[in-house]
Amino acid sequence: MSLRHLWAVTRKEIQHIIRDRSTLVIVFLTPFLLLFVFAYSLTVEIKHVPIAVLDFDRSETSRQFVQRITAGDDLELYAQVAALEEIEDLLLRGKIKAALIIHPDFSRQVLSGSGMPMQIIIDGTEPESGAFALDNMASRAEEFIENIFADQLVALSVPAEALKPIDLRISTWYNPSLKPRVDLIPGLISMVLGLPALSVALTLAHEREHGTLEQLMATPIGRTELLVGKMLPYIFVGMINAIIIPTFAIVWFRIPFNGNFFLFLGLTAIFLFAILAMGIIIGVFMRTQAAALAVSFLLIFFPGFFLTGIFFPIAAMPEIMRLESLGLPGTHYAIITRGLFLTGVGLDVLWPYSVMLFGLGLAFVGVAALFFKKKLG
Amino acid sequence: MTSQAAIALSSLTKEFKDNRAVDSLDISIQPGELFGLVGPDGAGKTTTLRLLAGLLDITEGEATIAGLDLAAETEKIKSHIGYMAQEFSMYAELSVEENLLFFAELYDVPVEHIQARKERLLEFAGLTEFKERRAAHLSGGMQKKLALACTLIHEPQILLLDEPTTGVDPVSRREFWNILTELHINGTTIIVSTPYMDEADRCSRVGLMYAGRLIVCASPQEIRQRVEGEMIELRPEDWQSARVLVAELPGVLEVQNYGERLHLLVDSAEKRLPEIETVLRSKKASYRSIRPAPTGMEEAFISLIKRMED
Repeated sequence: MSLRHLWAVTRKEIQHIIRDRSTLVIVFLTPFLLLFVFAYSLTVEIKHVPIAVLDFDRSETSRQFVQRITAGDDLELYAQVAALEEIEDLLLRGKIKAALIIHPDFSRQVLSGSGMPMQIIIDGTEPESGAFALDNMASRAEEFIENIFADQLVALSVPAEALKPIDLRISTWYNPSLKPRVDLIPGLISMVLGLPALSVALTLAHEREHGTLEQLMATPIGRTELLVGKMLPYIFVGMINAIIIPTFAIVWFRIPFNGNFFLFLGLTAIFLFAILAMGIIIGVFMRTQAAALAVSFLLIFFPGFFLTGIFFPIAAMPEIMRLESLGLPGTHYAIITRGLFLTGVGLDVLWPYSVMLFGLGLAFVGVAALFFKKKLG
Repeated sequence: MTSQAAIALSSLTKEFKDNRAVDSLDISIQPGELFGLVGPDGAGKTTTLRLLAGLLDITEGEATIAGLDLAAETEKIKSHIGYMAQEFSMYAELSVEENLLFFAELYDVPVEHIQARKERLLEFAGLTEFKERRAAHLSGGMQKKLALACTLIHEPQILLLDEPTTGVDPVSRREFWNILTELHINGTTIIVSTPYMDEADRCSRVGLMYAGRLIVCASPQEIRQRVEGEMIELRPEDWQSARVLVAELPGVLEVQNYGERLHLLVDSAEKRLPEIETVLRSKKASYRSIRPAPTGMEEAFISLIKRMED
């Protein structure tokens, strides 16, 4: 491999990135924009979920219970209905996301401490709101029962301190306030930092379309020199993003960074090598920029979203998807970023993922160089 | 003799999925020749040049370039040749100078020679004052000259130029050919494809391609002599009716249109000219002029192609 050839291609590519506005925007602005859009759209808190209540009991206790569950901002009483059909109607129209049906025996059983007969129906087409309503009602019901028992016990003159025999404290590590953003943003960062791979996929197709590839092929340049020379500038670009974007995320979203930042940069470089090599493969096979873009979305962007475990746990995927996710650089890098941001682990924990990334990168470059021929047609 | 040839092709063939773009080409080009490749669109000129530049796999046959086997030593050959594609293929975002430097590095021009060669080529191509301009902002003619300068940066022995002057204004075209002539004088072997017959006339030898085959390969003079008959140029007032009229006359072999002029190929201009005049007058077909004219490359070319099509 001639370093002179490599540098000639790299320098030419940097000049192209700097001078071509659209490339400049794609590589620097899009990652920022996507981080913002995703961070805000995925962390919207669920509030004011409309519910309907069908109260067959119509007692003081059931009224108190309904008041209790609709007291806060979480659930909103959309309608008190008289028949089951009305609930179905409201659910179908999308007016409510959940319904509570109170059994005729409700107050008797509650007051005697034998149970809490009620039914909760949720809209399965919108599971987030439904599940939210379910959790909410369940915890409110627990509180309600607890209060009633407490009242009764106080009436029996049992001291209030003796009332909580079980003290269950759930504690979440690494993201103590359970803000969804803190958990998501390192994953998002790992995804947006891989975006220059789209540009790298386009650059070979761009040269093909503009006839410059024909001229390049007529020179004695080596295939690996050309492919690696095209990747290097985007690794530089990616490294600039890798400094700016996390810094910005730490300041703006107030997310922690518990690991070593230099380790983060080092591992990011390996990740960029792997994901850019994936982009290069696409560039090798696709003839036009349009095709390269479409395939990049299919192979880099969407799997980066769905298969790398950023939003959907890999453990929950079917076997074949799990295997596929192992072949995606984003999967390993998402673990690395989450580890460095949230848990603050070091290379002792992250080395297998780093090795995997490097291996994937080498394999991808190998495949690209193998299939890239200095021939037309 | 073939071992000394700059380029030697023996039954070189290129097949694409459904057609034979280049069909059993046999050409031997001597060092220092200025070889013109002509033929209608789709005749296989571009494919031939791409094959020679090592950009396509050979289906059948052999080619030797600068004494090296094309199929086996493609990459080695690339440093001996300069190839200029038909489409503009320089980097639009790079300046004239940056493009030159880029190709100098890819062709491994020694660092100490780059500056001098760059300046000489810029001067040669008349681009010195535009050296900082981006290639995208050059005129069509200047872009072609830049592409030529880039293919010359490593001082190749052999130049392959694919329609280098197509779409270029006449003045730039002339300038471009002056450069080629200079290179020719200095001993560079040049193969140039062109749709212009005046350019073909400037070549030392011309190969006429038709449907992937080489149908004629000779000097321009020889090619002109191959055309049967002599030429008469006629400028009628109404060329459409005049054309129908003269095409039927005895001794008229062929009629070609040049705008409103008609070029008639006849068995003997001396004998037929008065006859044609008589007929035109008797049919009240007025004309501005009629005179014998020398057969040009263009007439020869069209006549040869017509013969192929018939």
